[in-house]
Amino acid sequence: MNKVLKRYVYKVDSVEFGEKSKLENGHLTISKRELQEAVQPLFEHVKSVDFELVTPGSDTRIIHLLDTILPMIKRTDESGRVYSGFFSDPYMVGTGSTNVMSGLAVMESCALPWDEDSASSGLLYPRDAILDMQGPIAGMTPFSETNNLVILYELEEGRSSAEYDDEIRYIGLRVAMTLAELTLGHPADYIETYTIDEVDPELPNVVLVWQCQNQGPYANTLLYGVPIDDIVPTLLHPNEMLDGAVVSGNYVWPAFKVPTYSHVNHPILLELYRLHGLELNFRGVIFCRSHNPTNWHKLRNANMCVKLAEYLDADGLIMAWEGGGNAAVDGMLTIQTAEKHGIKCSTITFEFGGQDGSEGVLLVDDVPEANAVISGGSIEKAVTLPKVSRVVGGDVMRLNKETGGFFPPADEPITFEQTIHFYMSGNQCGASKLSAVEY
Amino acid sequence: MLKAVYYTNQFFAGLGGEELADIGLGMFDEPKGPAVGLTRQWKGEMEVVRTIYAGDNFINVDENFEAIGDELLEMVKSTQADVVLAGPAFNAGRYGVACAKVMAFIGEELGIPVVTSMWWENPAVEMYRRRVPILSSTETAAGMRKSLPDLGKVALSLAKGEPLGPARKVGYFPTDKRRNEYVEKTGAERVVKMLLRKLNDEPFITEVPLRTLDRVIPAPAVVDLSLARIALITVGGLVPKGNPDNLKQAFSVAHGKYELTDSNPLTSDNFESIHGGYDTTYASADPHRLVPHDALLALKEEGVVGSIYPYFLTTCGIGTNVESSVKIGEAMLRDLKEGEVTAAILTST
Repeated sequence: MNKVLKRYVYKVDSVEFGEKSKLENGHLTISKRELQEAVQPLFEHVKSVDFELVTPGSDTRIIHLLDTILPMIKRTDESGRVYSGFFSDPYMVGTGSTNVMSGLAVMESCALPWDEDSASSGLLYPRDAILDMQGPIAGMTPFSETNNLVILYELEEGRSSAEYDDEIRYIGLRVAMTLAELTLGHPADYIETYTIDEVDPELPNVVLVWQCQNQGPYANTLLYGVPIDDIVPTLLHPNEMLDGAVVSGNYVWPAFKVPTYSHVNHPILLELYRLHGLELNFRGVIFCRSHNPTNWHKLRNANMCVKLAEYLDADGLIMAWEGGGNAAVDGMLTIQTAEKHGIKCSTITFEFGGQDGSEGVLLVDDVPEANAVISGGSIEKAVTLPKVSRVVGGDVMRLNKETGGFFPPADEPITFEQTIHFYMSGNQCGASKLSAVEY
Repeated sequence: MLKAVYYTNQFFAGLGGEELADIGLGMFDEPKGPAVGLTRQWKGEMEVVRTIYAGDNFINVDENFEAIGDELLEMVKSTQADVVLAGPAFNAGRYGVACAKVMAFIGEELGIPVVTSMWWENPAVEMYRRRVPILSSTETAAGMRKSLPDLGKVALSLAKGEPLGPARKVGYFPTDKRRNEYVEKTGAERVVKMLLRKLNDEPFITEVPLRTLDRVIPAPAVVDLSLARIALITVGGLVPKGNPDNLKQAFSVAHGKYELTDSNPLTSDNFESIHGGYDTTYASADPHRLVPHDALLALKEEGVVGSIYPYFLTTCGIGTNVESSVKIGEAMLRDLKEGEVTAAILTST
């Protein structure tokens, strides 16, 4: 195999709106008009978009947060297009050169309709995802440290969930790719080279199993442009993920959903890359679906994952999943199967435990083989959000649909008994430093 | 100067050995035994103003302990102590239980910080670690020179009003309390590091301990269905339309009990599923998919089953922790017993 990806990194230190979009010496100027023109042709179920900028450390809250996207673009056309499958045929990516912005995230914010006869019924309703740029929950997400361009969507009425879902994503990706075009023709701040071609026989071989949620519109993960409904566990080169082969369409559980940005800059994947050739050989990503419907399907999934790990001569496996209890069962079965086949595992998950940590079991499911479990923090901890001077995304939060809805003002202090509404608070892709510490 | 009260047994108080293990509660207004070393260690920041002792046999008898409770509290209160400490008890079972029990009592009654220390296999650890910070000591008193300063250091810190740090950092046995904190390294860094330690056969400690689940033994099979009174229970979240009791869509803490009558049939007009963990479209379209009342009625007419409990019990089984599940189960059981139910069909989703 000869697969090398060069990432040309362009730092975005500051950002403002202006007449003409440009990137100069780390200062990004964004023209709303230019972005609107770029996405206008995509409008069918979206009526209009507007944009807001949110900067690190500002006294700002973002609500109705759907996905977050990394602006990037292929340096030349020869090695395909990023987010392959969306604005292109699904050609293989992961080689050549990609321009990536660092310090800028594109966010989608939209209060998707709570319809009873659409994907918004039951599980699939988009629960309000909340991000604070400072204060107690800022550390739960990496995006309190980035400049964020928030896309605010105004929807046409009466369209289906699938239609909104698709179009919002296309617009978000288009905005991210349009901004990344500003890097073309400019020298990068630095260049990173990604390859796992060389394997040091003295070092242990390690794979990442990345198991993603896929349960229908608003709760999907897309691989090369298609939801992974019937996926059989498959092998990805980590460079494919760096180039955006995996895209999120998951808006349901704010704590657990993994944004596209973090599929691309996957924290565990990047850490394995950092140690590749030094302490381990990173042999690849096994990509599969969580929420398999029965124990039988979950076992089938686990065995196929481990089979692929064996093909890669894996000594060690990191099990990571998107989702809550259902996904944990898939993950635990994969750990058990791997350990039975002589592959050692570690994993990271959110935990329960009640307000003081002492109540009941900590995990929905566990197996005796899961003896190396990193805590991504407990979701059963009360948190009071402070008053903020600015809210982006709307004036009121939308909570507790199941009990008729609760719509508190979005800028006022509010106490949550659990952390499930805080963006990425489940910490299952390893992005944050949140952990439940034993006392 | 800060003030400490030290609790010990007849032996470490210098009174005598096993022959005095029945001696009652007493005190000295000065440091005795290991407390002498503690005062020295604190170098003028704190001193032991009172040593309280009791025989190990005496204090381990519940009636004795109850009888001396008030006196013990008064002995501590009158000193205005900033901290109370006991031990190290090493692997001495009776002394360990005495230290932990006395510390738990004083801490809970007076709200003064307490701490003790013992070997990890001391039976008192499992009995009291949730109520008292118990530091890890050496197995025998031969390790006094290591274990006593550890105890003294934590006691001084507590006396100064400093919060007790995490179990692993401070070196006490986990109290099972867990707090969300931002730690030094990201989850990604830690999950890779722990795997590498495991692969390299280096020691590692899981951050999430597995708390073993109880095994639930299935009830015996129903012998004669024609005599059975059957209830329908679902964790599929079926409720009267509008969810009148505001049952939670996930992380349930309660169940609902709703009548199954001819005037209020199980149709999509009257009922819906509010479950937060699956696509409820088909369940709401025909609630019999969750609560098969129609099938049960047919069986009753055929004489296969005796009678039907005229309500169904319901909750949402998703993200519900085990403690809540046990409470919900017990509450359901009360309903079932009251309704003289002898068998139940529980449908999950």
